Amino acid sequence: GELYCSLPNPRNVHFESVNMKNVLHWSAPEGMGDGVLYKVKYSVYGVGKWIRKPECRNTNRTWCDLSSETSDYEEQYYASVKAFLNGRCSDWVETARFNPLTDTKIDPPMVSVSSTEKSIAIILTAPEKWKRSPERESVSLLQVYPGLQYNVSVLNKKTKKRWFFSINNNTLLVPWLEPGTAYCVSAQIHVPTPLLHSGFSKEYCISTLKDKTA
Amino acid sequence: TVGNKIFHFGPCRVSMSMTEIRSGFNTIKANIQARDPIRTLSILSYPHSLHKVKSSDRCCVSHQLFNFYVDKVFRHCRTEDPYINRKISSIANSFLSIRRNFQQCQEQKNCVCDQESLEKLKQVLENYEGLNVTAAAMKALGELDILLDWME
Amino acid sequence: EDALLPAPQNISILSTNMKHFLTWSPVMVQGETVRYSVEFQGEYEREYANESWIPICECSLMAATECNITEDISATVAYNLRVRANAGTRRSEWGTLKGFFNRVTTSLTPPLMKVIADGYHLLVELEDMGPAFQFCVLYWKKGQESRMQQKVVKEASSVVHLDTMEAGLDYCVKAQAYVEAINRSSSFSQTKCVRAQGGTSVWL
Repeated sequence: GELYCSLPNPRNVHFESVNMKNVLHWSAPEGMGDGVLYKVKYSVYGVGKWIRKPECRNTNRTWCDLSSETSDYEEQYYASVKAFLNGRCSDWVETARFNPLTDTKIDPPMVSVSSTEKSIAIILTAPEKWKRSPERESVSLLQVYPGLQYNVSVLNKKTKKRWFFSINNNTLLVPWLEPGTAYCVSAQIHVPTPLLHSGFSKEYCISTLKDKTA
Repeated sequence: TVGNKIFHFGPCRVSMSMTEIRSGFNTIKANIQARDPIRTLSILSYPHSLHKVKSSDRCCVSHQLFNFYVDKVFRHCRTEDPYINRKISSIANSFLSIRRNFQQCQEQKNCVCDQESLEKLKQVLENYEGLNVTAAAMKALGELDILLDWME
Repeated sequence: EDALLPAPQNISILSTNMKHFLTWSPVMVQGETVRYSVEFQGEYEREYANESWIPICECSLMAATECNITEDISATVAYNLRVRANAGTRRSEWGTLKGFFNRVTTSLTPPLMKVIADGYHLLVELEDMGPAFQFCVLYWKKGQESRMQQKVVKEASSVVHLDTMEAGLDYCVKAQAYVEAINRSSSFSQTKCVRAQGGTSVWL
């Protein structure tokens, strides 16, 4: 039967999602920390039942990975946490409704750069959607968000001038550059609807080759 | 960018200010969904998700759902919060503007409902009318992202 | 509560580049501060919500005679707008804008534009006119107006790369603003030309 639920509730129960790796997070009840255990359940919005998460039963962690249980991004979800300490328990505390498609954060794209004497070639790779195990087939976020675009910044380290490109495909060739000059590239993902964008990646710098004739 | 999106339903093209609607909805989503305590029923997704709708039926189902929101839902969504009411008004007026675009498709006979889509729409109305009107309207408004996600 | 105050007059809309302002003449009351409140009514409210009016909190009991209604005029439908004066416990009748306002009538100005030749690269920097805007940029080799090329620029917050240029040639650029939500464009900006490296760079 239910224990006597007079323990203060867990706080700030919410999903943190990156590339659809959906992890439930919460804070310990006010003024408590050590020794508190938790259990977690989740439900699909519109479907009747709550489902317990066995791996997060009697856990002392304040997070629980529900990526597997919330991997269908055509559905929306709730999750809930209950705290236990010395035979007392708290109420169940629920998240807001979680929509993986619109509530996930997107990592910047991977950037690879190569150069010739007068040009640099940039290849961008969108991050993959979270998957259950490495053997599983990868799904690019490009497949999840077909309208995905890239904003690319190219900085001439000598002149300190920065140019921006907005491209739909994942390759960009910038010709007619100065030989023997360092250029730094960073890129961002932009999804027009539902309106999402990543931060800019770190800068990848490369130099054009020296002019052999000079 | 506040972008329109041109939806192609066969030969029919419907322009929709999706980004404006989404950004309006995102500002009130948590507030509206928190007013809906019923986790066990979805108006748009019960018993079958909108994603089960055949692509040939998308125009008709979309059009009829816009009618559903304009005719039945928004008018019962008045809240005690003036800011929320303003955002609901902007979504409702955007839906009205989009519905007009759909009507042009309807007149060109490019947006016809077949039996299967009529069944789906009937189920949505049954789900809606199974609740008291304010609870139903708030639940339907809170499910706007289900409609937008499916349409996009 | 007696309505002794005169209703605000000369109510009008100033709408430029999708920024919409309601303005009116001040109501003068000797020795008292007059404050104003603004409400709007969209087509939805007229047809489906018993002609209800919605207050704009930011323009409630304010002293100014101008209200920024941009955030509330967020659909391409006909809106009614009204304003009322308040002084102490007294207030006026509503003064209503004559005719409807639809954002499709906003006036659109061509974007401010800076054209840059950086070596063999043609770049453009455009005025940030707000989230509703994107830009159609046309560019061509001087003297070859028949072979114009076009680029749509969705975000104006930076120096945008247009194309590479042939050494020493002059390239010309002009741009217009486009608002998808109302499917309208501004007129084109002034044409500006620059010269690619390999010749004297001249700002024309």
